[in-house]
Amino acid sequence: MLSRLFFSAAAAAAPCLKNAALLGPGVLQATRIFHTGQPSLAPVPPLPEHGGKVRLGLIPEEFFQFLYPKTGATGRYVLDIGLVLYFLSKEIYVITAETFSAISTIGLLIYVVKKYGASIGEFADKLNEQKIAQLEEVKQASIKQIQDAIDMEKSQQALVHKRHYLFDVQRNNIAMALELTYWEWLHRGYKEVKNRLDYHISVQNMMRRKEQEHMINWVEKHVVQSISA
Amino acid sequence: MNENLFTSFTSPTMMGLPIVTLIILFPSMLFPSPGRLINNRLTSIQQWLIQLTSKQMMLIHNHKGQTWTLMLMSLIMFIGSTNLLGLLPHSFTPTTQLSMNLGMAIPLWAGTVAMGLRTKTKASLAHFLPQGTPFPLIPMLVIIESISLLIQPMALAVRLTANITAGHLLIHLIGGATLALINISAITALITFIILTLLTVLEFAVALIQAYVFTLLVSLYLHDNT
Repeated sequence: MLSRLFFSAAAAAAPCLKNAALLGPGVLQATRIFHTGQPSLAPVPPLPEHGGKVRLGLIPEEFFQFLYPKTGATGRYVLDIGLVLYFLSKEIYVITAETFSAISTIGLLIYVVKKYGASIGEFADKLNEQKIAQLEEVKQASIKQIQDAIDMEKSQQALVHKRHYLFDVQRNNIAMALELTYWEWLHRGYKEVKNRLDYHISVQNMMRRKEQEHMINWVEKHVVQSISA
Repeated sequence: MNENLFTSFTSPTMMGLPIVTLIILFPSMLFPSPGRLINNRLTSIQQWLIQLTSKQMMLIHNHKGQTWTLMLMSLIMFIGSTNLLGLLPHSFTPTTQLSMNLGMAIPLWAGTVAMGLRTKTKASLAHFLPQGTPFPLIPMLVIIESISLLIQPMALAVRLTANITAGHLLIHLIGGATLALINISAITALITFIILTLLTVLEFAVALIQAYVFTLLVSLYLHDNT
């Protein structure tokens, strides 16, 4: 934005620059490079798994290899022991009370490190592992929950597809019930009609029997009457 | 090297420049900040230790007192690390200087007292008189309690200075005794050396304990006044 201001001010000052001012901001922005170079911070090269090898806890392995071609295997040791003895003999390093306190302090430290170093390292690793395990558990629980939801959804969808069987059965049921009712009605009607007709037949039979009996009685009566007269 | 016994306690200079500030600032380089979820072993152990200590020390306070957590935790880390680093040979321990310990003790103590007088005036003034004192003793007891209150920062500073300085002096003296006895009788020198080793173990413990005691007392003063 400031570059635009600058260019407009320059255009106001010198009109011949006005054409340049129209192009100015674009050129300025075009010369700014975005994301074209290799980013220096990412990807970070992976850190080595273990630190550099050391001998005696302090001296890197490279120092030993540095002297190996010239002096062989004992070169470094000879140099170190020689230096120490030189310092002691020339009293460049004076043995004072502090020497003994140094021996006792550093001896104590080396003893503690040698004895408890591995277990403290394992303890630190265990702390980290516990942290990761806790988070992993949360993640697994969440995944399991979602998986269960997916399975339930799938089973319910399958049930929905099978729903028509249920409807068919219900339909068949109702049809059978309707047919049953129809046949019952039919049977009932038939029975009613038969009842009425039976009534009339039995009435007729009874009338015929009565008439026959009456006729028989009349005939008997007249026969008896004719015989007895 | 060391002309007399006390040269190791002078303010260290290198080519005429005082480097005591650098020495005081050095222990902070030994505590890397835990940047990620999973750190390296050193940072994990330090993180676990600080969590343990802070939980144990700050549970007794109410909400107002727990705002002092950062101050007290950095206090104990500083005093502990400075004391432990002072046990290395040829090193300088800033906490042997009374000036520095006074500089730590007086502001902290005064802060707790001022906070108590401002926010809970009656309760903090009531600390001057223990409960159940017989009536005639009251004036004397108030004077005694106020003297004991005013002595608290001095006691804090002098306790730390004296303990650490005495420990360092003893180590020097017994080391010197071992050195002198080697030419006379090697076995006595060996016994003295064993005494030196035991003393070093004690000094490691004292270094940590003094840090703890300092911070604990400040937190007690805080508890009284919140």
